[in-house]
Amino acid sequence: MGQRFWNIKTLCIVAAVAVLAFLPRYGSDYAVNIGILVFLYMSLGQMWNLLGGFAGLASLGQQIFVGLGGYTLALVTQEYGMGIAASFGIAVGVSVVFAYVISFPIFKMSGVYFTIGSWIVSEAILVFFRNWKFVHYDAGYNITAAYKIPMGALYLGALAIGVGSIALVYAVLRSKMGLALMAMRDNESAAEVRGVRLYRTKLFCFLISSAYTAVTGVVLYLNIAYVKPGAAFSIDWTVCMVFIAVIGGLGTIEGPIIGAVIYVILRQYLYNFPGISMIILGSVAVAIILLAPKGIMGAIRGRFGVELFSVRRRVDERLE
Amino acid sequence: MELFVQSVISGVLLGGLYAAIGVGLSLVFGIMGLTNIAHGSFMILGSFFVMVFSRQLAGSIVLALAVTLAVMAAVGALTQGALINRVLDKGAEPALLVTFGIAIVVQNILQLIFGADFKSISSPFASVNVVSTKWVVISGEYLVNFLISAALIFILHFIIRKTWLGRSIRAASGNVTAAELMGVNTKRTYIYAMCLALVSGSVGGMLVGQTFGFYSYSGMSYLIIAFGVVVIGGMGSIVGTLIGGVILGVAQLLGAYFFGPGMQIFIGYLTLLVILTLKPRGLLSSMVRK
Repeated sequence: MGQRFWNIKTLCIVAAVAVLAFLPRYGSDYAVNIGILVFLYMSLGQMWNLLGGFAGLASLGQQIFVGLGGYTLALVTQEYGMGIAASFGIAVGVSVVFAYVISFPIFKMSGVYFTIGSWIVSEAILVFFRNWKFVHYDAGYNITAAYKIPMGALYLGALAIGVGSIALVYAVLRSKMGLALMAMRDNESAAEVRGVRLYRTKLFCFLISSAYTAVTGVVLYLNIAYVKPGAAFSIDWTVCMVFIAVIGGLGTIEGPIIGAVIYVILRQYLYNFPGISMIILGSVAVAIILLAPKGIMGAIRGRFGVELFSVRRRVDERLE
Repeated sequence: MELFVQSVISGVLLGGLYAAIGVGLSLVFGIMGLTNIAHGSFMILGSFFVMVFSRQLAGSIVLALAVTLAVMAAVGALTQGALINRVLDKGAEPALLVTFGIAIVVQNILQLIFGADFKSISSPFASVNVVSTKWVVISGEYLVNFLISAALIFILHFIIRKTWLGRSIRAASGNVTAAELMGVNTKRTYIYAMCLALVSGSVGGMLVGQTFGFYSYSGMSYLIIAFGVVVIGGMGSIVGTLIGGVILGVAQLLGAYFFGPGMQIFIGYLTLLVILTLKPRGLLSSMVRK
């Protein structure tokens, strides 16, 4: 606790966020758009990393919450005529309740059964939405409320979501629960014997990650402005999350930041190569993992020992 | 009532096909603990090979299948040896992402070559009804699918239980270190297992291509069926896959019978989740890892 709050690292981070906040004033529309995508995808990556990298819950079903966020936005603004702000609160509520309900069946499964169980839940939701009259079956919604939002405002919203996701993961890991999570990651049985309540800790992580993924989903769909079941509940969302978290470095906070920058910029660049863009993206993913199995941040840490967001606790140097 | 009996019988036969789709996945998971996301895409790759070869080889589907199996075995050996073996001991997530990457590459290469059109493989049994009474109709195609799948599973079961290869596979799945001390080259065993998985997947791919048709991105939708079948049977259990397939097939068709065709898939998933909630490690899990 003896660490000074305003050390060099903190100052650098604050300065970086401040500079990023002024991008819309000076940058091109293209740069702003890239920024929006990087922040939002980073948030998705952070939330998957919290589950897969820290809580040992490698889920393939987090697209449920992206979709729930998108549909909440659409229903709240189109069907009920409420403001966009309301959809954030409702998205959190809906996703927490939904995550809590599905936790009963899927938390009974462990390891790969959990991975597949969560995917089956999301496919079931996809089919359900396609057959649900209330949400216009497969037709979906045009989110007209999103048309009026200026790009600068959307950018600041995305920046807030991105920075918020880092702060949230950091806060979780620095809390008492973070210690429990790390103990679980290293040895689940030993942690349990020591009094870590595995089920509760995992559930809490799942609820946080799901709620924040849904909030990110709301902003994503403010950008996309059109929601339909096949895209909203697509496994592709989770493929991106896994890509970002694993390429960047699983179990690190910096990993998803690096992963998201690489993913978004690579994907934008590859639009110049229609037809083979996805082939290149897949090959790059495989190549990076073969060269650096712990992801880019894992490789950097292994070689240089640099950490930007340290979640480790050290004894104060003056006391040592 | 007639329709009910018909649904159950068709469900059982459909379940055989589902088992053929899933059995390779189960084998690979049971042996190396790999969640192979690329299984569905490899299966569709097999469908495309059968389609192309059957046109090239004077329309003989048997010859086309034989060539396909040889090619797919080579693809499996290459994938496992050059890519997956190198990340297997690095943890579950890197291996998961590698198979994701392979799946994306395979389906987009197929898209590039064949486009996004729906394809199918012609079947000699397509319009033949083996049994046709007032009560039930059994289509020749579904019956042949079931018989081929059952034979496939029987052969795999025999290989795993009775041959030297099967013994080394079981040894590697039980305890890697002990197997290696006994002279089993586990990495090579993994290569053989992946070959078997892709060979069985290609048979599934041919049957799917004849019965439902396919396009370059079909892999993912069949993958979820394969996963479902394998988890209710118990990951790693060969015979469990057949049981899982039959349960899913019957559940889907009864779902369609009771709630309408729109709910067929949904009821299938719901059944999977209910079974997994009650038996979180599947109904039969004989080759449990670690």
